[in-house]
Amino acid sequence: MTTMLRSAPPAQARKSTGVRGRPLLRTSYHQDLALANTPAKRRSVIGLVIASFVVPFLLTDDLLQVLTLGMISAVGAIGLNLVTGYAGQVSLGHAFFIGVGAYTGAVLGGDPDGAMLGYGLPMWIWLPAAGVVAAVAGLIVGPLAVRLRGLYLAIVTLGLVFLGDHVFREAREITGGPGVGRRGAELELFGIDFSSMEPISGLSRGQAQFFLALVFLIIFAILGRNIARSGVGRAFGAVRDRDVAAAVIGVDLTKYKVMAFAMSSFFAGVTGALYYAVIGVFEPGAFSLLLSIQYLAMVLIGGVATISGSIMGALFIALLPRLSQFIAGFVPDGLISVFQLEAILYGLLIMGFLIFEPRGLFGIWTRIRNYWKGWPFSY
Amino acid sequence: MTATNTLPQRIRERAQDTPHRVAMREKNFGLWEEVSWADYWERSALVGHALIALGVEVGDRVAVHSENRCEWLYSDIGITAVRAGTVGLYPTNPAAEVLHVLRDSGSCVLIAEDQEQVDKYLEIADELPDLRTVVYIDPRGIRGRYDDPRLLSWDDFLALGEQHRAEHPGAVTERLEAAQPDDLATLVYTSGTTGPPKGAMLSIANIEFVIETLRSGGAFVDPPASDRDLVVSYLPLCHVAERVFTTWFNAAVGSQVNFAESIETVQQALREVQPTLLFGVPRIWEKIAAGVHIRMSGASWFKRKNFDFWMKRAAWIGRTLVENQGNHTPATRAVYAAGWVCLYRPLRERLGLGKVRYAASGAAPIAPEVLEFFMGIGIRMHEVYGMTENSAIATANMAGRVKVGTVGEPQIGTEVRIDDETGEILTRHPGTFAGYWNNPEATARTVDPDGWLHTGDVGEWVDGTHIKITDRIKDIIITAGGKNISPSEIENSLKSSPYIKEAIVIGDRRKYLTALIGIELDTVGDWAQQQKLGFTTYRDLSEKPEVIALVQSIVDETNRKFASVETIKRFAMLPKELDHEEGELTATQKIKRSAINERFADAIEGLYSDTDRVIATEELKA
Repeated sequence: MTTMLRSAPPAQARKSTGVRGRPLLRTSYHQDLALANTPAKRRSVIGLVIASFVVPFLLTDDLLQVLTLGMISAVGAIGLNLVTGYAGQVSLGHAFFIGVGAYTGAVLGGDPDGAMLGYGLPMWIWLPAAGVVAAVAGLIVGPLAVRLRGLYLAIVTLGLVFLGDHVFREAREITGGPGVGRRGAELELFGIDFSSMEPISGLSRGQAQFFLALVFLIIFAILGRNIARSGVGRAFGAVRDRDVAAAVIGVDLTKYKVMAFAMSSFFAGVTGALYYAVIGVFEPGAFSLLLSIQYLAMVLIGGVATISGSIMGALFIALLPRLSQFIAGFVPDGLISVFQLEAILYGLLIMGFLIFEPRGLFGIWTRIRNYWKGWPFSY
Repeated sequence: MTATNTLPQRIRERAQDTPHRVAMREKNFGLWEEVSWADYWERSALVGHALIALGVEVGDRVAVHSENRCEWLYSDIGITAVRAGTVGLYPTNPAAEVLHVLRDSGSCVLIAEDQEQVDKYLEIADELPDLRTVVYIDPRGIRGRYDDPRLLSWDDFLALGEQHRAEHPGAVTERLEAAQPDDLATLVYTSGTTGPPKGAMLSIANIEFVIETLRSGGAFVDPPASDRDLVVSYLPLCHVAERVFTTWFNAAVGSQVNFAESIETVQQALREVQPTLLFGVPRIWEKIAAGVHIRMSGASWFKRKNFDFWMKRAAWIGRTLVENQGNHTPATRAVYAAGWVCLYRPLRERLGLGKVRYAASGAAPIAPEVLEFFMGIGIRMHEVYGMTENSAIATANMAGRVKVGTVGEPQIGTEVRIDDETGEILTRHPGTFAGYWNNPEATARTVDPDGWLHTGDVGEWVDGTHIKITDRIKDIIITAGGKNISPSEIENSLKSSPYIKEAIVIGDRRKYLTALIGIELDTVGDWAQQQKLGFTTYRDLSEKPEVIALVQSIVDETNRKFASVETIKRFAMLPKELDHEEGELTATQKIKRSAINERFADAIEGLYSDTDRVIATEELKA
């Protein structure tokens, strides 16, 4: 981790003394672009990763599963943030790409002897394949974004969800159809069966799956951050801020809009495949508009155009059912159900964040950080 | 071949020993571009070759008119390498002063930074027949627009050097090896508070004396500076103090010089570089301290309380340190440690003083309050004393033996004596300058036959070790009552308030003291905003009754510190900011008293007339 987080030394023979301990003394643009461009960031990321490896030994399995699913969703949220947050292309079709990934994974990695179609391929094939198939779907949708902007694009991608919903319901050999559903892919990697009771001796299923999700998230978070800080990420930002201006300075709009959709769909695809493999059984109704809204909520609540914000948002949304259960305890019986309460909370949170904290949880964090960063001054 | 070691030879030596180490950095497009010792010497040698190609002979003068940047150092070293003398010009010099310096020095080549400086030259070009070539460093606005045959771009200049080197490979080395100790190395023009600037000649031997003093570690920094020390170069390089801290320290011990993008971004540069050695004139230190107070007044409640609390502790620490000659006691150490976490460390880092291990103030007297402020937040402040004429080496407060209010003890190898009759400070050492250029009378007035330099400052011994400077001998006020008063002490006390930028005490042959006071626009403007006081211009703000009341309170506070004959009975506000271009300040922002007395004569007379109005902001004399 440490070596990955540190910037690559610039290719020069000059021996620079005195730069150490002076993070603002930038002698090359590599330092600006580094994955963790300040020592504080480097230290806190390392600390956070270490802390999250300790978490499974402190919590019970049921809470661990909530976090596991939250971390897997985080990868999907990072994907949506790439296209909507960084590249500024509003997409309501994220549920569709997640569905494509989920069924690709389930078909390729599913039990060959089961009721539904399944090839029983190992995880290192079905997981990337799920991403690739979703990315291909994204490539097909991408060109639409070249012609459409803003609200129109949102409506078109909304149509995608309904198309997908219909196809998933009707393709019964693959999906099992509504009300029946099917099993996800087999969770077996390096000979470890993550769905058994004790996958690794000494570790419970919840703990093992937590580690799996954590490593998965770290890989994709670094991937996402690398995309965001590279030339591609800067092109996305240029397109978002003003596509005409971006085109004038030489950003190929078609290329980058299609790329944004393809990359985002890849993240969605792998998320779908892994998420439902951990869940076990799922049915086509899961990939409705509500799922797209959930992911948008993760991005908005977490923080638009930030990787860490996506993760915070996803974990927050994953913990929301817990929260609504807790609140439901105070609501008189029979007034509203827990699920209704959850839906209301979504709505309130999205509205609240958009009005009061448009930059999301990440914005709150930035404000806290700037307060201390400015110490002892205010500006 | 003599045993002389010259600046260029030292640079060459470093280029051979540590070619890839960093000699200097310059910030361009947000990046600190590094220059290695090998690059430094290579470019300086090219400058030398180019100068020979342009016909520069031994003993000729070459002028440099630029802000601080790498090219200044390349030029300086290149010029010295071919045994010519460097003449530095202040970037703020108006055309008339440029003309005076170029004509007086008889410079044959001018290295000008940009269009601004080239324009100044072109304005006066007809009066300078001896000046053959003008090299411009930054071609923006010049290339393709100006067709004066005397202009030459920096790139073409270096190309010329390269061509000359190909034809005469040993030409620069030959000149360099033949250097003599009494060769003219540089002409440093004094700022000229009383008359036109005079060119002080510093020889190779003078500079070598400074470098040896720096290397031996006796001077200034303890433990001695090394190649791990960082310096930010921002004061004009034509002034001897910045030359010491930039060029000579760099050549002597290899400290790394950092050049900011421009003079406006110095604060930012300090934050980024976090220098270990920092020299500032009092004005800079006052400005930093005032800036802290302005920014704090706009901070949130909790941050303000935190600041107030720890600054009270800092004031106590500062006072204790002052009593202990800059040494900590166990109690101050403990309080400082707690404050370090809550305020001092982040504050110092924000100011760019986080890693400063040696800070010095010199070139003008500084108010003790300002020194105490910085000592309180943990910066080792030292007031030092020197002048162009003694190559900036005279006295300095040494680490652990600091006496605030004095300029320190004589440096090693320096003899200091106070004239019994006049009280003038006299110094003698091998760094005493060779004389004023083309002005033997002035030289004879300044250096007596025994080699004692008459500094023009009146001083006295404190505890037999430290020297306290009373004032410039010419500035001492003798009141109508026959009392000798040093105005600068009173002025500095006034200026230690963040609201006051200029204070000029008047009272020579008068019955009481008065003062002209100029406010600091930033801080008073900020204060006025907080008081919900609308204002338009500097003058409008100065004349607000509330502002005058504010100044009155500061004057009253100062008056309490002095004896009754030394109190200011009345004052008038300056209606404008004093300016170099209009001849009220020198290039180093020192006040030209005669010019002020003449310009504001009406206001001054008003202060001594019988009218009851204390505030008399008179019209400017046309």
